[in-house]
Amino acid sequence: MSDTPFDRAAKATPPTVASKIRGLSDRAIAWIFVLPTIFLLLAVNIFPLIWTINLSFTNFRANRPNREVEYIGFRNYERILTDSDIWLTMQATAHFLFWTIFFQVLIGFTLAWLINRKFRGNDLWTTLIVLPMMLSPAVVGNFWTFLYQPQIGLFNYGISFLTGVDPSSFQMIGDVTLAPWSIVIVDTWMWTPFVMLICLAGLRSIPDYIYEAAEIDRASQWRQFWTITIPMVLPFLMLAVLFRGIENFKMFDLVVQLTGGGPGSITELTSINLKREAFEKWRTGYASAYAIILFVTVFGLASIYVKALNKVKER
Amino acid sequence: MSEVRLQNLSKAFGDTIAVEDVTMTVPDGAFVTLLGPTGAGKTTILRLISGLESADSGDIVIGGRSVADETPAQRNVAMVFQQYSLYPHMSVKDNLAFPLRSPLLKTPEDQIQRKVAEVADVLRISHKLNNKATELSGGEMQRVSIGRALVRNPNIYLMDEPLSSLDAKLRSDLRIELKRIQESLGATLLYVTHDQIEAMTMSTHVGVLDNGRMVQFGSPREIYEDPINLYVAGRLGQPRINILPADMFAGSPDGARQMGLRPEHIQQGEGKPTTVKRVEHLGDQIRLHLKLEGHDVVTLTHPNSELEAGDTVAIQPRNPLYFDASGARII
Repeated sequence: MSDTPFDRAAKATPPTVASKIRGLSDRAIAWIFVLPTIFLLLAVNIFPLIWTINLSFTNFRANRPNREVEYIGFRNYERILTDSDIWLTMQATAHFLFWTIFFQVLIGFTLAWLINRKFRGNDLWTTLIVLPMMLSPAVVGNFWTFLYQPQIGLFNYGISFLTGVDPSSFQMIGDVTLAPWSIVIVDTWMWTPFVMLICLAGLRSIPDYIYEAAEIDRASQWRQFWTITIPMVLPFLMLAVLFRGIENFKMFDLVVQLTGGGPGSITELTSINLKREAFEKWRTGYASAYAIILFVTVFGLASIYVKALNKVKER
Repeated sequence: MSEVRLQNLSKAFGDTIAVEDVTMTVPDGAFVTLLGPTGAGKTTILRLISGLESADSGDIVIGGRSVADETPAQRNVAMVFQQYSLYPHMSVKDNLAFPLRSPLLKTPEDQIQRKVAEVADVLRISHKLNNKATELSGGEMQRVSIGRALVRNPNIYLMDEPLSSLDAKLRSDLRIELKRIQESLGATLLYVTHDQIEAMTMSTHVGVLDNGRMVQFGSPREIYEDPINLYVAGRLGQPRINILPADMFAGSPDGARQMGLRPEHIQQGEGKPTTVKRVEHLGDQIRLHLKLEGHDVVTLTHPNSELEAGDTVAIQPRNPLYFDASGARII
């Protein structure tokens, strides 16, 4: 054995972790790193899902743990799918989803388009516009209930200023026809900035020289917008719609703060309905089946949508 | 096709002067090449004519009509950009058809298809018509962008180094093709290039730019044989013109400070002795790197020369170009 300074230095270095656990294969070491994560995933995601599926076939009630649990097959599913109240809830959710996404995409894209025309102070405007998104939904819900107050609310005064209607003559939250719109307005106010940011990213990804080429090719602003801007931003727009769709399908906090599902059950979206079934009426088995139905719906719709999105991207 | 006239055109970007007082006429049906190093203002002139930039002063006249206040669409010019600016979300066919589908033109669809097929055939991209624009090689993209200009019938074609990104074979093929198309259409073409062969073989006129100024404008032969100063002389010629002190050889005129020797100005076999430093065999000719009293001289010799590095060759100038202290030509 040689005894150069390098060899001595090598001997003086403490053995590495790898050499301590030598004898384990690379694969085994990989498993050691991955196992904690897999265990966590199983514990908080996979097991509850399987357990929920299991419960959905029973008449289990979480507030009566000692009662004997009966397996009742698909009866929960049958009851849910034939319940006209649940279909009303679904309709309310669909209505809410459609209009929030419609307004958010329309206003969000317009704002992004305006911000993207490089003018002085557009950074400041971006920051201001993005503010609502950074607030907590509970806070937003809370202060919009004040804005919607018929006697002191700024919203009602704003409307009355614009239209001349008496501010105390209408109640956004208490009225059967206006209450759903009150939620749409707040959600749009809060999440339009998010859609705007995604659209802005899309708009900024279009290089200037493409517009220059189009201008040389004698395309009008209108034609440039429809044949270049829209097709090139479309994948981003679709992504924004996907995010907002999934988020709003589980909309809970804002609605609870604003209307609590009322008046009556006009604004009772599926997530609120589900929470009532599970934790107010304690029909755990029934609620489990309900949750599975919602899960399959969102999952199915999202998969179809993602396929369409990929198609657009490949075009 | 139309004549294009630039009158005292100037353009600055902040403190940088891109184009300064340029006056030139691109005659109807002419193939005009702009030469100059990077930053000389070649691309800016194209952008000014196309209307993508507006001039600080001066006028642009296309077909007898001042277009200074018109949009690019109104000017009806076609332009090939240096970076292939294709529409990435469209197929090759749609890219080529895009200018024809302009609502201004109202071209019937069967005519569009015919025109696109015709141009695709000339540029040899017919087999790629249904590909997405991003699924092409660099050379193919550039051909599509040339094609997008050729489908149109504009007042003038503006081309910004359109062949620079192609491989040598394709470049020489397309050079000939482009010249053929230009001649058969009688098209007016303003062309920017670094490539001396392109400038010499394709153009009817060459304009040499230096720092935004038009230094000399004339036929390629005029520019080559009769440059007005050292700068212009250095723009054309492969190998580059050799610059030596004027008093190195007898016979220089009064005031001459430097002499320019192109290979054809160098007579081998008599005169001052030089040492051969390097011999480059180019196939059809041999390039000699010589050392003459401390100065480098590059010249050509016939392909079956037996010269090797270290040999001695005597050289003597024959009708060289003379320049004064400021670089201006002395005749």
